[in-house]
Amino acid sequence: MPTSDRYTRIGKAVRTVGRYAAGAFVVAASTLTGWFVFGASDLADVVMVVLLGVVVVSMRFGYGPSLLAAVLSAIAFEFFFLPPYFSLAIANLHYIVTFGVMLTIAFVISHLTHRLREQVEKARRAGIVAQTEQQRSALLSSVSHDLRTPLAVITGATSTMLSPQAPQDEGARRALLETAYREARRLDRLVRNLLEMATLEAGQLKIRKEPQPLEEVIGSALDHLDERLRGRDVDVRIPEDLPLVPFDFVLVEQVLINLVENVAKYTPPESPVDLSAFASDREVTVEIADRGPGVPEDERERVFEKFYRVRDGEGGGVGLGLTICRAIVSAHGGRIWVTERNGGGACLQFTLPLHPEETEAPGG
Amino acid sequence: MSDAPVVLVVEDDAEMRTFARIALAAYGYLAIEAKTAAEGIRLATKHRPDIVLLDLGLPDADGSEVTRHIRKWSDVPILIISARGSESAKVKALDEGANDYMTKPFGAAEMMARIRVALRNSAQSRSEPVGIVKIGEDVRVDLPRHCVTVRGEEVHLTPIEFKLLATLIERAGMVLTHRDLLEAVWGPGHEDETQYLRVYMTHLRHKLERKPARPKYLMTEAGIGYRLRLESQ
Repeated sequence: MPTSDRYTRIGKAVRTVGRYAAGAFVVAASTLTGWFVFGASDLADVVMVVLLGVVVVSMRFGYGPSLLAAVLSAIAFEFFFLPPYFSLAIANLHYIVTFGVMLTIAFVISHLTHRLREQVEKARRAGIVAQTEQQRSALLSSVSHDLRTPLAVITGATSTMLSPQAPQDEGARRALLETAYREARRLDRLVRNLLEMATLEAGQLKIRKEPQPLEEVIGSALDHLDERLRGRDVDVRIPEDLPLVPFDFVLVEQVLINLVENVAKYTPPESPVDLSAFASDREVTVEIADRGPGVPEDERERVFEKFYRVRDGEGGGVGLGLTICRAIVSAHGGRIWVTERNGGGACLQFTLPLHPEETEAPGG
Repeated sequence: MSDAPVVLVVEDDAEMRTFARIALAAYGYLAIEAKTAAEGIRLATKHRPDIVLLDLGLPDADGSEVTRHIRKWSDVPILIISARGSESAKVKALDEGANDYMTKPFGAAEMMARIRVALRNSAQSRSEPVGIVKIGEDVRVDLPRHCVTVRGEEVHLTPIEFKLLATLIERAGMVLTHRDLLEAVWGPGHEDETQYLRVYMTHLRHKLERKPARPKYLMTEAGIGYRLRLESQ
């Protein structure tokens, strides 16, 4: 957007001027402090105080302002503390040297501080790169492991069936085929999640928001999971007067499927799932609560990270379900988080704004 | 073998064709296979199959184009086979006149169920009138009298709700796109008002389903439309 571009440019200029002004202000303050010290103690103490100002400026406000501060403090020093006082004239040669040394030290300080800042920044960035590299390779090995396991099972089971030594017993043959089938289904879910994540990350996601009843999308998501929810009590509570909510059906259905599927994965079979929704003036909150082991407090934010799993290998996924949920919910202008449920279990909540056009950022 | 229903499978992937051929044969159907859209159209003309399974991702043409071609001269049921996430392509083919769709991957049982429904529907459309339709154990719809009972109790439906239900019953078991339903119930010019449709569908569920938030009969097809199941699964 051209206007917002201009605003950022103006904002940047204002901040730059601000930093120089702040630098000048610090010099004024250190000079004033020097003034109080002056007379009571040695001129060397005054030099220290004034130079301290330069150090502060170069640490806080960057290279440019610190150079300005160096020049200003040398001039101020000359003006206030070298005879003749309150004049830029210099009484004798000795003081010219003092002034020169003062200026040089001020420059050296600002330069050294600037270098130090650069080094720190570089080290920090190198640290981040190393960390993401490490994360990436860990992720890659985790994903390839997760994809290979079902593939190995399918290959093993089907090749056994094809081999001359294939089991003759009908039960054994059936068991082999059933494993292959189950693992193929699992592979399908994994690939679907990976593809979905790739789409979300590539920014190719098109959201088609339409105001609609929440009940329908909940019903549709639960129907998809019918088989996986067998044996569980599924309780859905939606107030009759819940307003229509603007959202993309396919995407929000995916959020609900992922969340309820997590319950099916991580809680004991036959433990219940409770879905509910309530509205405030601005948003609708959807809640999916279970009676499982819950999510440890220090992991409640991390579970939304890509490829993160509370306990490795459990659940049989790649750790993308909640990441996808968060991406979809944020794209709708909502929030998603997990808390502990009263009386034990996990409680996942997400919101969808009722009037998204008001909350959306300008130009977004 | 000669009176086995003929299924034309238009699919470019050889393994998928093998799967379809074997599964169809096991259920007593005869499969003929086409690898491209052009071949599919040619074989559809030549063999007059009882049903067409049409893959949406063909190399030479869009599935909806094939559908449009076949629809010029034939009412043969067309079942779309497609990958997940291509809702708009599915809707396009359905709006061109395809009858239903399946999303890859699917099993033989699902394929057969869809084929049976499609064949039954095409047979029904030739012998129209239906009197009383049962939806599951609970719901009885008396079409001529516009009367609906749920567990023996009469339930009042508004004219629009009844029309919506009757439209779904007409094509029971098969998907109806939002457009199909809007056109049939509200008339042409209302094709984009899916919001109404959703609200009426919700009303209908509250009147007919035991648990409207876990429907057994009035099913939603995400991004596409609705499907009426006559029996709960």
